[in-house]
Amino acid sequence: MQVSESLRIAVVNLRVHKVRSLLTILGTVIGVMSVIAIVSIIEGMNKYVSERLLEEGSNTFYVDKFGMITDYQEYLDALKRKDLTVDDARALERLSTSILVVGSLAQGRNNVRYGSREVSSVEVRGVDEGFQAASTVEVEHGRFLSREDVLRRRPVCVLGSDVRDKLFAGLDPLGKEVRVGRHRFSVIGVAEKKGSLLGVSQDSNVMVPLTAFQKAFGSRSAVTLIAKARDQESLQLAQDEARAILRARRKVPFSKPDDFSILSAETFMELYKNFTSTAYLVTVGIAALSLVVGGIVIMNIMIVSVTERTKEIGIRMAVGARRAEIMFQFLIESLILSGAGGVIGVLVGVGLAALISNVTPLPAAVKAWAVGTGLLVACGVGAFFGIYPAARAAKMDPIVALRYE
Amino acid sequence: MAELIEIKDVKKIYHVGAEDVHALDGITLTMKKNEYLAIMGPSGSGKSTLMNLIGCLDTPTSGSYRFNDREVRDLSDDELARIRNKEIGFVFQTFNLLPRADAAHNVELPLIYAGIPRADRRRKVEQALEAVGLAERARHRPSELSGGQRQRAAIARALVNEPSVILADEPTGNLDSKTGEEIMQVFEKIHGAGNTIILVTHEEYIARHSGRIIRLRDGLVESDVSV
Repeated sequence: MQVSESLRIAVVNLRVHKVRSLLTILGTVIGVMSVIAIVSIIEGMNKYVSERLLEEGSNTFYVDKFGMITDYQEYLDALKRKDLTVDDARALERLSTSILVVGSLAQGRNNVRYGSREVSSVEVRGVDEGFQAASTVEVEHGRFLSREDVLRRRPVCVLGSDVRDKLFAGLDPLGKEVRVGRHRFSVIGVAEKKGSLLGVSQDSNVMVPLTAFQKAFGSRSAVTLIAKARDQESLQLAQDEARAILRARRKVPFSKPDDFSILSAETFMELYKNFTSTAYLVTVGIAALSLVVGGIVIMNIMIVSVTERTKEIGIRMAVGARRAEIMFQFLIESLILSGAGGVIGVLVGVGLAALISNVTPLPAAVKAWAVGTGLLVACGVGAFFGIYPAARAAKMDPIVALRYE
Repeated sequence: MAELIEIKDVKKIYHVGAEDVHALDGITLTMKKNEYLAIMGPSGSGKSTLMNLIGCLDTPTSGSYRFNDREVRDLSDDELARIRNKEIGFVFQTFNLLPRADAAHNVELPLIYAGIPRADRRRKVEQALEAVGLAERARHRPSELSGGQRQRAAIARALVNEPSVILADEPTGNLDSKTGEEIMQVFEKIHGAGNTIILVTHEEYIARHSGRIIRLRDGLVESDVSV
């Protein structure tokens, strides 16, 4: 029998039971939809994050005493460690052959005021003269903090573009005096806009000389070192050197682990990948579950359909349909059901991903392999769960089927 | 010339619970091409069982049934389906048309399973509907047809593959006598065109249309009379 006839029969029967057919494929739709939507968002985030991290400088790495803290006990232990200092930064620069420059950074949060305008909870960074070279900060207007500023503990600052916009709203901020907490700093420059990373602005900060930061906000605040390797190839070597130098300076016994930690873009990327692969697993689990449930629903409805159409099966057998042809007809029908579920799922999933990337800062990238897999799995579900009802139809005794009312 | 149908001592035994029901208890009969045969008998006499056997919907428990010189007992399910498709045309008391397909598509059904190309199918369907006088109503569904028209559609379906034999099981049972008479005219016409017909009925006046009447009782041939 021609495939076209099977398709025709299937479409006619599905059209007769529109609502039933729609409800039947709901499980498949939800399964495929969640796979497409979540994979699109995770893939979009992956792309975005790796681009941003590379932009951040693939030959820089960070050293601080905390590292990636994942539980409270770790945090308490890390607190007891010795702070890193500006002297450590200078030592790295002096002793390492593959490190180009090391900047130091201390961070806090405070309100920033100019006249009657105020921006609350701004990230205040105390940086030294190496910071600009080690990181990717560019100045858009005015100048950056100099060695002199740091040595002489000058009360000057460079504003992030968000802070400038909010405090000065179009006025020239250079030479004006802003208050960071209780302390006055005059503006000498404005940093270039960096945009936002996963919805968090990178421009809501104020940079002041590290020395001035420590004078104003306490010299006991921990310092993070930002080291820049000569080039991408020497990044690993630079990290190894930094580790050796710091262990020596901090007198870490041979048998003990580091009491500081080194983070690079790769470390972040790895952590991020770990997180997203877990998210992937969870998604796959949920999707698999709803596809199995969807498949059982399809099987159930196909059994109902086979029973309802017992007489039709008898008629077809009487006019010469072979058992394989009856089986094929019902398999095609469950395939169309689940295939339609797959297509609708893909459309809704893509739409959902587009919607999410429009209304939230999460980016989305629809992957062809995800769409393909979604459709394939949906059809596979239809074929697998369609086998039993179709076999049931094909096994019928034509005489009994013809007599069925 | 070989017999079209050759039935020798055929028995059909059904197991109903612990009991064995001898639906057919040793039937022997032969039938030639272009015969017009009526099978009669009270209910329970085994005429439906015999119909199903002749129509290759069922196989005998014992005995031999040769159709067109082939032993039906030795055939596989697929070969039986092929015989039903090409060699046998069924006409049922309750018409047994597909409710969601129009008359033309119902008639087309055996051709589809025979794997005949679309253009040929269309031509054959037209011819068959023409032969039963239903060409005008080709695009109507069974629910839009009268009882007589439905049975005409069913006869067209039975005819369309040019089978060796047409099996009609109480074809007038669900029709009023006037319409029934019209349907019998159709059968006479197609018999005249060279078709072989087996008619199952319990109405004497319907059986009179045939050329030979076989009466069954308790699974046995009671009489076999040429009219």
